[in-house]
Amino acid sequence: MIRMYVEIAKKVFQNNIVYRLDYFAGLINALIVILVNISIWKAIYEEEEVLGGIQFRYVITYLILGVLLQTIFMMDEYLIEGKVNSGLVSMDLLKPMNFKAYILSHNIGVLMFRLIMQFTPALIVSMFAFGLLPPFSLLYMFYFIVSVVLGYLVLYNLNFIIWMTSFWFYKTFSLVTIKDAAVTILSGALIPIWFLPEKLVNFIELTPFGSIYYIPISIYLGQVPPNDIILSLIKQAFWIVTLFLLGHILWKSAAKKLVVQGG
Amino acid sequence: MAFIKSENLVKEYKINVKKKGLLGAINSLLIPEYKIKKAVDNISFSIEKGEMVGFIGPNGAGKSTTVKMLTGILVPSSGEISIGGLSPYKNRKAVASKIGVVFGQRTQLWWDLPVIDTFDLLKFIYKIPDKEYKKNLDMFSELLEIHKFMNQPVRQLSLGQRMRADIAASMLHNPEMVFFDEPTIGLDVVAKERIREFIKYINAEKGTTMLFTTHDMQDIEKTCNRMIIIDNGTIIYDGSIHEIKHRFGNYRIVEVEFQKEYKNLSFAGVKLINSDGNRKKFKVDQTLMQVTNLINELTQKYEVQDITIQEPEIEQIIRDIYQGGICLDKNVC
Ligand SMILES: Nc1ncnc2c1ncn2[C@@H]1O[C@H](COP(=O)(O)OP(=O)(O)OP(=O)(O)O)[C@@H](O)[C@H]1O
Ligand SMILES: [Mg+2]
Repeated sequence: MIRMYVEIAKKVFQNNIVYRLDYFAGLINALIVILVNISIWKAIYEEEEVLGGIQFRYVITYLILGVLLQTIFMMDEYLIEGKVNSGLVSMDLLKPMNFKAYILSHNIGVLMFRLIMQFTPALIVSMFAFGLLPPFSLLYMFYFIVSVVLGYLVLYNLNFIIWMTSFWFYKTFSLVTIKDAAVTILSGALIPIWFLPEKLVNFIELTPFGSIYYIPISIYLGQVPPNDIILSLIKQAFWIVTLFLLGHILWKSAAKKLVVQGG
Repeated sequence: MAFIKSENLVKEYKINVKKKGLLGAINSLLIPEYKIKKAVDNISFSIEKGEMVGFIGPNGAGKSTTVKMLTGILVPSSGEISIGGLSPYKNRKAVASKIGVVFGQRTQLWWDLPVIDTFDLLKFIYKIPDKEYKKNLDMFSELLEIHKFMNQPVRQLSLGQRMRADIAASMLHNPEMVFFDEPTIGLDVVAKERIREFIKYINAEKGTTMLFTTHDMQDIEKTCNRMIIIDNGTIIYDGSIHEIKHRFGNYRIVEVEFQKEYKNLSFAGVKLINSDGNRKKFKVDQTLMQVTNLINELTQKYEVQDITIQEPEIEQIIRDIYQGGICLDKNVC
């Protein structure tokens, strides 16, 4: 049962390797973004060690992790839109497979590719060249990995909702752009949440955005007290379930629309 | 029991009526207006296991709509379908593993992957046992000559190559039934012929039930015994090709080249349809006049240089049916 989805992920992985130029571009892009971010924050810190109670080393580590996670959290945003517009989504329904599981395995193939081919080399360079701090402790490292997986699933399910709208809107470029902007600003991927106004942070706490990058990175840095870790993970899980259910409802009505109106 | 049974199948599409101009566009967005289009109107038929059925009709007749309903990707507005005892849209996945579908206009192959990779994936998706997979792969790649482009990404294939790969892909899992929607569209004569041969061979060899739509009557003539003709969403003919030829093709075209020009030639049951100097073309109604009698009469009474006799072509008959020249159902015309 699971086997076919694993095979799909494997094929997508292999297929990504074919685009070598894309691979190098992605890697170099990640490194450049890290460098630029570090320079900006260096300027902000102006040789100070600590700003607003936050050590510069932490900020650097936060930024590097933010960029690294962003590289692997990049998904195939127009896969479903393309299928909807070409009518090929019906061809997927003609196969004895679960459409949602198929889309997830496709994206996991992409994730694996980026993890091995882009994340890992960028991580190694960051450790030696940019001063990435090691995780707070081994236990925190473990929680960090769990939290990253959850963070990925939060973003995946959020994305899935956007992708589903292509069944009604056909073009999702603007929605994807708005979503990307919201995620970049509100998730703490670009600006560490510590530096955002308190009101905004309170708002972010109520949205799924904080669960994507901010929670895993904070765990890595040891900024979450041991007693709160499980709570943070539960918060991520809550958003996964909520967004998943929303996406599921949308998929059900999209599938219904498809079989009633014809692809 | 019939493998496929369709009873009183109806499909109505809701078409969004767009109004003109900017105001109209806004209006349509706020208060959408719909028109109902009946694409399939109460059709019933059944197909036995191992049958090979041609499904034809003019553009927009409702062929693709019917195929989509039979394969479970479109829900009928009303009526019943059963494929091997299952309802295709209620048991989509179960039915999907029993059938194969080829849409000439859409590929099921993964666009970026080499052909063989799609086949490999299908092996897992349909859970095809290793031995069976290998056997089918070898057989199909030989019959359809796929091995030549097996490792090329699908997007690089020519239409004919892609279609052959698509056909193979739809049959790797030994489906009990295969639907083809215009499998020969846009292909050259040789490619068409190869696909017909293949389809015929598989039908004979594996007893696979097949239904296919096409606009090429040769496809039907060379592969199917039975033909269903649909027009405006209703079935206007369901029977053998032989019978339709017998019923509506009971005439011959006789072309005669005389030594000199004759005027006012007239025979009972014979219509002069073309006259060009010494050359005349007659349509002979065989219920009124035997061709041999006509030829006897011609050669005895006139100086004849050359005579050719043509059987009516199925294409011509079908064209007449589409254009309303031939009435299949006396109750309707
Ligand atoms: N998704 C849809 N929404 C609205 N109307 C549709 C839809 N699909 C088909 N139709 C209409 O239904 C009718 C039947 O279409 P269908 O595609 O079944 O014809 P067809 O017999 O396959 O024709 P062709 O030989 O051109 O492929 C046509 O009038 C078509 O415009
Ligand atoms: Mg069609």
